[in-house]
Amino acid sequence: MYNKVNDVTINFLGKPLRWIVLFLSTFLVVFPFYWLATSAVKLRRDYLAVPPVLLPKEITFENFERIFLRDGALNGLQNSLVVAGCTMIVAVFIGSLAAYAISKGSIPEKARHIFAFWFLIQKMYPAISVGVPVFLVMRKLGLLDTRLALIIMNTSFNIPLVIWLMLGFFGDVPAEIEESGRIDGCNLWQRYFLLAIPVVKPGLIAAAILTFIESWNEFLFAVILGLRKATTLTVLISGFITDRGLEWGPMAAMGVVIILPVAVIVWALQKNFVKGLAMGAVKE
Amino acid sequence: MGKKRLTDTALSWLFLTPTFIVLIIAAFLPLLYSLWLSFHALRLNMPAARPVFIGLENYTYMLQDTLLKRSTQNNIIFVTFTVSLQMFFGLVIAMLVSGDDRLSRFLRTIFLVPMIMAPVASGTLWRMMLDRTTGVVNYLLSLIGITAIPWLGQPLTAMIAVILVDVWRLTPWVVIILVSAIKGISISLFEAALVDGASPWEIFKKIVLPLLKPVLLIVAMIRIIDGFKVFDIIYVMTGGGPGIATEMLPNFIYNQGLRYFNAGYSAALAWVFIICMSLLSLIFVRLRLRQEG
Repeated sequence: MYNKVNDVTINFLGKPLRWIVLFLSTFLVVFPFYWLATSAVKLRRDYLAVPPVLLPKEITFENFERIFLRDGALNGLQNSLVVAGCTMIVAVFIGSLAAYAISKGSIPEKARHIFAFWFLIQKMYPAISVGVPVFLVMRKLGLLDTRLALIIMNTSFNIPLVIWLMLGFFGDVPAEIEESGRIDGCNLWQRYFLLAIPVVKPGLIAAAILTFIESWNEFLFAVILGLRKATTLTVLISGFITDRGLEWGPMAAMGVVIILPVAVIVWALQKNFVKGLAMGAVKE
Repeated sequence: MGKKRLTDTALSWLFLTPTFIVLIIAAFLPLLYSLWLSFHALRLNMPAARPVFIGLENYTYMLQDTLLKRSTQNNIIFVTFTVSLQMFFGLVIAMLVSGDDRLSRFLRTIFLVPMIMAPVASGTLWRMMLDRTTGVVNYLLSLIGITAIPWLGQPLTAMIAVILVDVWRLTPWVVIILVSAIKGISISLFEAALVDGASPWEIFKKIVLPLLKPVLLIVAMIRIIDGFKVFDIIYVMTGGGPGIATEMLPNFIYNQGLRYFNAGYSAALAWVFIICMSLLSLIFVRLRLRQEG
């Protein structure tokens, strides 16, 4: 009756219940995004209408126009891109270096374990706990309201994840490759850059996507450190709640600007992203 | 040979140096600074103010701080409900979409979207949908005869709302992790049971569930730890309100430090919080190490 494993797992509740659960969960996931997208192009009278307009008859792009011309979305977009982009490059580069040293370098066995343990703990510590001191230090250094401050903070949050992921990927690099490099007289840097990196490219891509998304979505330190100039998109969208109210159209437009780039990246690199998620949580 | 060894060792430490520098600047020094601050009183809103040493006062004040007690209770309620719901729905949906058929793959792609959206954007989106008068949620509920609910305006429904939004956001994450674990189960484990004529439900209960147990444990631990770090959705959905009905620990620490400007008290809170979270993490790491053998 059941020929494949899949038939067994996907039918564990029986067919009718399967369809009901799948339909409901799909609706719950998709509908909010439908609502976001349509609200973003609704006229003012439509997004404030009671009862709400399910399918707008007329669409407009004035909400987007408004956020880019008046609400600083252009500046926010630049800040978010620069912060997330730089964080991604820096965190992946220095994180993978560290992971390579721990995985393949010549450091004492004990140090190896201590570092792996340290980075695992570091991955879990609550960011809010350094909120106040970081604010004070950045104020003293004159770095408040700069992208640099955000890049530093985001890099520190993401390095442990990058190291954790890359430890797994470097661990899978065949020992023969390492050995042949050693025989050819390559030093650690050459073995890392010329031999290991090409092999772990999928891992690097996974780490890069996760880091980019994490810093693109980061809000806590963006709101603590970015006051006027270095405001990211996440801070801007929160401003719709705290400062104004019921500006649903422009707010939804801002939401679309926030989700769109990330959705495109994940859609294009889905395999890497999912692999990264799974390895970040449960090491295989 | 001896010389090359040396350079490799030197290079290894060199490779680790940038990471050390970043973590020292962004994590270690701030943590030490906040430990020092936690024994002082300092008003953040006066840049010229100097910290005054007050000993353990910040720590003893915690014991009588009823707001802190409420935030802790709220956070525990939040974590209990979000994690159980995420684990339950996550497991059920993961089973249902773990196949290689086109529908399962398509749904898995769709389910990625809530978790990649910035939490703060999800929070604002749901705040819009949960609005009492213009919100679409109350409208859809009215179609089945439920009268308008002021979701974020009363304590109980506000708590339910933030819990549901967190479940909406992160159940898909549980699904994705569990799907890759289910796909990793070897076909051969099923064959014998299938030959014996076991039903899919029996196979789920007797074979799949026990095999998934270690992964379920890890996923639950990650969700518990993350649940105590919730900040963004609370900030935009309720601001901790109404009153302090949905105030969680990170919001409480944030408010003490950066809204009421009690730098010292906030630092002390942060330290106690870190110690508690580290204990949780330690349990987690031990589970993980045991699982990896």
